[in-house]
Amino acid sequence: MKLVIYLLITNKRFIIGISIFLLIVLIGLIGPLLYPVDPLSFAGPMEVAPCRRYPLGTDTYGRDLLAQTLVGTRTSLYIGFLTALVAISIGTIIGTLAGTKGGIIDEILMSITNVVLAIPGILLAILIASYIKVRSVEVIALLLGITSWPWYARAIRAQLMSLREREFVYLSKMAGYRDIELAFKDLLPNIATYTFMAFVLYINGGILSEAGLSIIGVGPTKGISLGLILQWASLMEAVRRGLWWWFIPPGAIITVVTSSLMIVSVAMDEIFNPKLRGR
Amino acid sequence: MLEVKNLTKVYELGFVSKKRIIAVENVSFKVEEGEIVSLVGESGSGKTTTAKIILRLLPPTSGSIIFEGKDVWRDVRKREEKINYWRKVHAVFQDPYSSYNPFYTIDRVLKQGVRLIGINPSSDKADELINEALEYVGLNPSEVLGKYPHQLSGGQRQRVMIARCWIIKPKLILADEPVSMIDASMRVSIIELFEKLRESYGSSTIFITHDMSLAYYISDRILVMYKGRIVDEGPPEDVISNPEHEYTKRLIASVPRLYQKWTL
Amino acid sequence: MAANLLSVINVAAYYRQQVGTSIKTIKAVDGVDLYLYEKEILGIVGESGSGKSTLANVILMNIKKPLEFVKGSVRIYTGNGFLDLNSMSVEELRTKVWGKEIALIPQSAMNALMPTLKIKRIILDVIRSHQDRINEKEVVEKAAKRFRELGLPEKAIDMYPFELSGGMRQRAVIAVATLLNPRILIADEPSSALDVVSQRMVLKTFYDLLRKNIIKSVIFISHDIATVRQIATDMCVMYAGKIVERGSTDELIRKPLHPYTEGLIGSIPSVEPGIRERKLKYIPGQPPDLSNPPTGCRFHPRCPYTMKLCKVKEPPMVNVGNKRLVACWLHVKR
Repeated sequence: MKLVIYLLITNKRFIIGISIFLLIVLIGLIGPLLYPVDPLSFAGPMEVAPCRRYPLGTDTYGRDLLAQTLVGTRTSLYIGFLTALVAISIGTIIGTLAGTKGGIIDEILMSITNVVLAIPGILLAILIASYIKVRSVEVIALLLGITSWPWYARAIRAQLMSLREREFVYLSKMAGYRDIELAFKDLLPNIATYTFMAFVLYINGGILSEAGLSIIGVGPTKGISLGLILQWASLMEAVRRGLWWWFIPPGAIITVVTSSLMIVSVAMDEIFNPKLRGR
Repeated sequence: MLEVKNLTKVYELGFVSKKRIIAVENVSFKVEEGEIVSLVGESGSGKTTTAKIILRLLPPTSGSIIFEGKDVWRDVRKREEKINYWRKVHAVFQDPYSSYNPFYTIDRVLKQGVRLIGINPSSDKADELINEALEYVGLNPSEVLGKYPHQLSGGQRQRVMIARCWIIKPKLILADEPVSMIDASMRVSIIELFEKLRESYGSSTIFITHDMSLAYYISDRILVMYKGRIVDEGPPEDVISNPEHEYTKRLIASVPRLYQKWTL
Repeated sequence: MAANLLSVINVAAYYRQQVGTSIKTIKAVDGVDLYLYEKEILGIVGESGSGKSTLANVILMNIKKPLEFVKGSVRIYTGNGFLDLNSMSVEELRTKVWGKEIALIPQSAMNALMPTLKIKRIILDVIRSHQDRINEKEVVEKAAKRFRELGLPEKAIDMYPFELSGGMRQRAVIAVATLLNPRILIADEPSSALDVVSQRMVLKTFYDLLRKNIIKSVIFISHDIATVRQIATDMCVMYAGKIVERGSTDELIRKPLHPYTEGLIGSIPSVEPGIRERKLKYIPGQPPDLSNPPTGCRFHPRCPYTMKLCKVKEPPMVNVGNKRLVACWLHVKR
């Protein structure tokens, strides 16, 4: 265990990736505090290019874009984390139950998994958007989480099913371990690395999916996120009209965040899969 | 002490068109106290399946396992009773790699043994027992404790497993190919530990192997298994000199000997 | 006088391992001489960690990090002249030597077959990696013929690896590895994972290959001296990165000179009567850590005949007559 942490910390890719990511997180957390401008209220003249007064300019409604970007970053990251939390929670529980109990429980849970897998997330989002007119960021995160746990649950189930037959599991059983103790002490550590990686991937997925939903108009209706900024920018034809300060910053931040997380997950793959080490 | 009666295990695969695999077919045999019995056969002969059923890890399709008068699958049901059973019947598995959870040090398997016999694993008494157990199997505690499985050799890992058995002192040990993944020159020293256990406190061992020469060296009785059935049975000299079944004959002829060369 | 096929002179190869912040050097092969002649089956016997698998890779000059070739020469004699493998590039080795002059069947080869490819595909892949242009039909026909020659069912070529039993898989691997008729075949633990019946069939396959002159000689590496003995004409015993004894199989088994060889032979059970009473003896202790081998003779901590000299100076390899070589102070005449 200690070896793994040591390898992680000394891996160049991991350090680069996690540093960039943490930087963005810092910006998201502290930014709005250091620049306490309300992103949604009128701040000045419309569509002003970046200048000293408005570092990232203003949009069509005269709202400060730097404030929007900062708060948007915080919101998008928040949605990413929530999505990951929801997906991992559901996926781990279902995958563990299916993988360790087997039999009828496994069959039922896998059927549910298959059904959820087949549901197109975007369609569901559009449906929900037409029924619930006011959608908070939490609702969106919940939606994203609920539609994306299947692949992870399947993977966890597969890993556990193979772990179940290993001799050390038998030996723990014969030493008198209860099922729960067995799951925690013997099985969970072996899937922990996978869960960790999946968590990172889900944050990524959450941020990107939210941006996608927001751009087409079925994202959150309250608050401001990077996706929502892009939605406004596209509605107001910012690209055609050359208002680059509107769509480039949020796009850049999404790109940087997702790239840094990808680098982190590649680094983790290298570490956790010993055969890729030593390159 | 142990009686296996008409044990059968059938696997059914597939949901619609069920394919049946008969892993174990009508197997019966007895093991007395202080006996070392070998179950010899190639992979797929059903010996590991039989062992898992005896160890109460895999349920039989039909037949019964009677241990000290009680039916292991029908009379032993509550958790307390199961734990009691595993105090008396324990195992040493084949693969010194997957017998250990790579996340923990090897101390864990020994502490589990201590816990099974009702002693607090973090007590001094536990440490004493663990040290004694390691010395019993020929290991130096300071060289082995606190290490992770991948830091020890296959032979050392198997010895630690046997040390766990010394702590538990079960009446019956099921050793499933305990040395087949160990170098030939190390095998005998580890196998003899089972004999030592018998001398020390009268345990019996069911020794599962595909290596007839090892079985011949250490057992009181040999049972030959082929395609799920027992095809030959008897004391080693008898089985070697008067094999009854075709498979036994082939098995004996195929064991490489040091002082005799095959004609290939 | 049989022709010399392979000359390995004073080779050494070390593993450089990164442990934390420092680098550990494991002297897996440390000064080994080896000669191989036509029609010979040379058995290399040693425990795990003795360096025998590394030696196999060194003979082939299949050196990949963290393994480093430190010194020595590896020379093979082809039909017209010789090739110094240690001075050839990987590209040259791949196209001229591997598969064509020497073939290696690594440990667990039968388990390394891609499960989603039929044997036919695997054969084509192997040949393609050694020859740039191939005629698929010809190759498959040649393979089918070879399978027939070795007593394997032709339809195995159209099957997936998991459809074949362990013994058949290994024999298929052997057939594929020798398709280009290499002069030398090196097999690393080819039968250890198989049951005794399959083991015997695998050994017979090697014999057949030699008898039909498809290959000229075999190097058989194993920790199981009883199995090696069934097929090898000559044997080398390896310990801690060095060869400690060599000689014809019958003589070595009958009268081992090196204490390690003696211990190895004494620890093997067999189904011969009288063995239960004879009681096997075994070699105490463990093989040494090759990053810090013992001084002098590497076997001295476990040797029952250790003398003072053994702890200080490494014994030289001496010829005690009749191609018998041994590296032990007990056999060095003053």
